[in-house]
Amino acid sequence: MAMQITVNGEARTIAAAPLTPLVEVLREELFLTGAKQACSEGFCGACTVLVDDQPVASCLLPVGLAEGRAVRTVESLGAGNGLSPLQAAMLEQDAVQCGMCFPGILMALTGLLERRPDASEADIRTALAGNICRCTGYERIIAAALAAGAALRQPEGATP
Amino acid sequence: MNASMIGLDLPRRDATDKLRGQTRYTVDRARPGMLHAALRRAEVPAGRIVRVDLEPARRMPGVRAVVGSADAPGRSGMVAGDQTLFATGEVRFVGEPIAAVAADTAEQARAAAAAIVVELEPLPPVLTMAEALAPDAPLVHPDWRDYPQFVPGGQRAGNVAWEATVVRDDVAAAFARPDVTVVESTFRVGRQNQASLEPRACVVTFEDGRFLIETSTQAPWTVRDTTASLLGVRPADVRVVVPAVGGGFGLKFAFGLEPFAALLARASGRSVRLANSRRDEMLTALCRENAEIRIRSAVTASGEIVGREAVVLMDCGAYGGEQPFLASMTAHTLGGSYRLGAVRLVSRAIYTNTPPTGAFRACNGTYNVFALERHTDEICQAVGMDPVEFRKRNVIGDGAIGATGQVFEGDVLGPMLDRMAALRAKSRKRPAVSDGRLVGRATVVGTWFILVGPSAATVNLNPDGTATVVTSGVEIGSGAMVQALPQIVAHSLGLRPEDVVVRQADTDAAGYDVGVGGGRTTVSLGAASVAACQEVRKKLLQIASDMLEAAPDDLVLEAGHVQVVGAPQLKVSIAAVAQRAQAVTGPISGSGAFTAPGTASRPGCTAGHLVDALDLPVFAVHECEVAVDPETGQVEVLAYRVVQDVGRAINPRAIGGQIQGGVVQGLGYALHEEVTIGTDGQVRQQGFETYRVPLAQDVVPVEIDLYEGAPSIGPLGTKGAGEVPILNVAAAVACAVANATGRPVREIPLTPPRVLELLDGAADELPLPHIKARWEDNLLGTGAG
Ligand code: FES
Ligand code: FES
Repeated sequence: MAMQITVNGEARTIAAAPLTPLVEVLREELFLTGAKQACSEGFCGACTVLVDDQPVASCLLPVGLAEGRAVRTVESLGAGNGLSPLQAAMLEQDAVQCGMCFPGILMALTGLLERRPDASEADIRTALAGNICRCTGYERIIAAALAAGAALRQPEGATP
Repeated sequence: MNASMIGLDLPRRDATDKLRGQTRYTVDRARPGMLHAALRRAEVPAGRIVRVDLEPARRMPGVRAVVGSADAPGRSGMVAGDQTLFATGEVRFVGEPIAAVAADTAEQARAAAAAIVVELEPLPPVLTMAEALAPDAPLVHPDWRDYPQFVPGGQRAGNVAWEATVVRDDVAAAFARPDVTVVESTFRVGRQNQASLEPRACVVTFEDGRFLIETSTQAPWTVRDTTASLLGVRPADVRVVVPAVGGGFGLKFAFGLEPFAALLARASGRSVRLANSRRDEMLTALCRENAEIRIRSAVTASGEIVGREAVVLMDCGAYGGEQPFLASMTAHTLGGSYRLGAVRLVSRAIYTNTPPTGAFRACNGTYNVFALERHTDEICQAVGMDPVEFRKRNVIGDGAIGATGQVFEGDVLGPMLDRMAALRAKSRKRPAVSDGRLVGRATVVGTWFILVGPSAATVNLNPDGTATVVTSGVEIGSGAMVQALPQIVAHSLGLRPEDVVVRQADTDAAGYDVGVGGGRTTVSLGAASVAACQEVRKKLLQIASDMLEAAPDDLVLEAGHVQVVGAPQLKVSIAAVAQRAQAVTGPISGSGAFTAPGTASRPGCTAGHLVDALDLPVFAVHECEVAVDPETGQVEVLAYRVVQDVGRAINPRAIGGQIQGGVVQGLGYALHEEVTIGTDGQVRQQGFETYRVPLAQDVVPVEIDLYEGAPSIGPLGTKGAGEVPILNVAAAVACAVANATGRPVREIPLTPPRVLELLDGAADELPLPHIKARWEDNLLGTGAG
């Protein structure tokens, strides 16, 4: 039985079995390889996507439980070929190294900043509690998230 | 030359795609009709192979190829061919590959691998170095003598896989002096898993009689050559292409899964993907080795180190791998930093029935510096000197003689200690800790050295005025290939960095390169590229001199133009010159190569060293402030400062990112990361739940000062900056915790239970009975071996 999921704003029909982890459907069926499957156990956060605006480890979510819900992946960020304020802040801070963790970190922080553009440094560290970055030592990621939050609080602020 | 390119904080060219999720790492790659592979691995640490039956796997659904030890007869190893691709005759560690399967889906491949029949007769394993060195220990490699020997004359016997020694001057006489205090310390450190977020992975296709390997590696030429020798084909029949690499940290400096996938691709006629799961990586990553160390020093009342001796035991696991090479590093890491009278050091790689270990950022430097700096603080205590004063007096400076007899140039560590004091003075003041926790601080020094090794580069000048630089360099996240290298080439040719195209690593396109590791990329590939640019420049100026009717010596390259010195209005664009060249001489290109002979050891001073020369020393001074909770044993890092010798900073902001990241990896090593092995030979930490790496809540912003101007053979005076940041971290944390608690830290990581033991005084002594009392008795040929 095919099921329907909204992925990055488009209705998609999914062929995979309902118990297939969402991350595998995204990567192998929809060719959205942004989300990374770096542990498959819910501990690294590289597979984080937003499901109905909440950050979720997509390796732990059977695709059947995403039926009828709205999934957003890193590929949805930024309008057209642009970057979201959060992505732009990461670029600005020279935060990226190998880059494997960013698809998940960006979605965890996008989820936070959509709810709380005034998130404090402590809130940001807490929101990243499930995301491993082995390269950067986190500080620039945190600085970028603070800068993006400030940009979003400007009156003309866009979406994170 | 346009100097403006150097020292600029240019952005990374690969960051936008990485932020948009568009970068296709090896794990994201697929090919039409691609099969998925799985390995059958050993489940016991030691056993004689009675029977392996691949037939049941061949009958499983979706299976396209099954291969085993008969398909890969070659042997690999650095000093001797002690390793085969699949276990042959015996299995020697849990996780050792026995056979490989390719099938239509990954589940089918895994199911078929599980169906292979493996019959083993268990053998008693040796799981620790103490067991391996016991007089009656079973031998991990009883048939060692039958293996091909690649480095004849090396020292090995029993379970000692390799031994590297340094002996300079008369140590016994120094210890016998009546005016010295003898200080002895012992230390132990655990294994650290690289845990790059991208596991080892590859996609291999067999086409036109050659293997095309797309892989996540730091060393494409090593993959090419090792795959060829294990499969028994010509190296030229293997092409290695490297997409963006999702972290390496040394793990990917050795070959990984490529030969398995290559065999399966040839057997099936299809593309084959093989990628490790996190569990596979936890079981089989070539971790930083666990080690045991004893150091003894003879020190005068005025604080002069007149004699030093040390024994370093490195657990290489079931196969030697890179460890014989890493053993040579002790001479410069443990033997570094201080002016020494007489010195003798032995580093021994010990076989055990555990997963093989290997290179991890700064390799044995991390624990040798930990041991050396803790020992130094114990010396200070014994002779009653202030630790920073002691270091200022004793660190190597201009004209100092290193452990292997080479002479150092320039005063670097001394001034860096002063810069650390200045950095601390600038530091933001924090409120004093008043909650009963114990506070401590330590300043430590460290020496690393870059082995530059050979690199090749070609630079093509394109008719649109851009340049393409072709090398086998890999971007593993450090930014060397996407920031420093284009900056160096742009600087050499008067272009903008964005006008420099960097070719993806491809062994069919570029010449030999050792690989990305040890901090050598910017130095070696940079220097090779500068040499290539010089040839391009010469050709460019020749043509331009006709066009501008000026002598080549009167021309400069500036802002995309060739212009006449003193008459900037007389100029022609580099694009126009490149187009003109097409008609007159043919397209302009240049090739360059680099290696450095290094500073050789004093003759007769070393034995068993696979590297005798010290190419380029790099120094670091770190400082750490901690608070230790006496109730829970929790260590909190309150502040962390780094003064790093970078030669010349090509991109200071990128270096800052490397330092922050390297320090945090080091904090994990110092405080909680440890791979342990159970009595059943199984790695206990099989995922990120039990192997805890630092998270955003664990870290502090590192305060950084880049020390420029130390002598360097690197292009523009640069030194590699990515390797060194982790070097001193365990030392800084351990010395700070010792300072806070007043107790001798002998083991890392400093987990809460270990800190509580420390506070109880239960960890003051660390007996290592398998390190013999007399230094000489720890050598092959003279002792029990
Ligand atoms: S892959 Fe989902 S948390 Fe690691
Ligand atoms: S940038 Fe490499 S894991 Fe975060």
